[in-house]
Amino acid sequence: MMRLTDVVAALELRPLTNNGEFESDVISALVCDLLSVVLAKAQESDLWITIQRHQNIVAVAKVTSVAGVILADGVVPEQRVIDKASQEGVILLATDKPAFAVCGLLFALLNSEKG
Amino acid sequence: MSPRAIVDAAVNSGIDLIALTDHNTCVMGPIVAHTAEKAGLAFLYGIELQTREEVHLLAYFNDANACNALSEEVYAHLPDVKNDPKYFGDQVVVDEQENIVRTEERLLLNSITLSLEDATQRVRAHGGLPVPAHIDRGVFSLLGQLGFFPENAQFPIVEVWGATIPNECGKRAVFRSSDAHEPEQIGRRTTIITMERVSVEEILLAAAGVDGRSIRSEES
Repeated sequence: MMRLTDVVAALELRPLTNNGEFESDVISALVCDLLSVVLAKAQESDLWITIQRHQNIVAVAKVTSVAGVILADGVVPEQRVIDKASQEGVILLATDKPAFAVCGLLFALLNSEKG
Repeated sequence: MSPRAIVDAAVNSGIDLIALTDHNTCVMGPIVAHTAEKAGLAFLYGIELQTREEVHLLAYFNDANACNALSEEVYAHLPDVKNDPKYFGDQVVVDEQENIVRTEERLLLNSITLSLEDATQRVRAHGGLPVPAHIDRGVFSLLGQLGFFPENAQFPIVEVWGATIPNECGKRAVFRSSDAHEPEQIGRRTTIITMERVSVEEILLAAAGVDGRSIRSEES
């Protein structure tokens, strides 16, 4: 488990939004671009890694209470999606790293923190 | 599928209106329209777009020009990735005698770089009727890819594949169509539209139940 703010620093993620719980705990992650699957599987304290930038990601992140959404591979949603996320307190984080690299780094980070 | 095979299958199934909704192209529309007309089968032009989110969006048009204009606009947003016939099959354009006129080189199976909302808006800008396809399927469906209907696009009509209409559809009108990729599949799903004449405008009135018009479908 790590604090989101420490994950952001370690992975050099760029916050696209500032409004949200950056002190929350991250235990695991989900990498998925099909929102119906995310709705079914995402847990609170997951980080959600995706290249899906449709506006629905905001509501899906909110409803599942994930710790944050990492947009991988240089994908940046439209400004109105970012604004909506800000409004809702959904944390969007950007990186140019491909999803595979993000997963590998995050997995290693979270597992090295385990007892 | 050949124009002749499509029209014969439709006529033999007792269908009296078809739409051709090829994947990311409508180049075969005029040929199939002509073949349909000769057989007394009503015809609507159409296309099935695959959006950036990998949602399938059907679009219907009254005339070839509108459909072509949309199709050309969309082609500019289809990545310039070559088709590989070994894996994806040939993308041939045929004439009425089924001679190959040309081969489409760009991979039509791809997603266009337009969002569902942008694609929908452009369909409407060309006078077309956008209908999200097979919304209840596990693949390429609006509900599968996006979880729920997005707030920035209106869809008075949706296409459902299974026997049960998902609750998310609410009061929307429901199409059921064959999504035929083989002539034998034509007629496996049908919709009965009660309208004054075949047109996109009439279909929308039917969706709203105006003056006795209606849209009814059952899984066959």
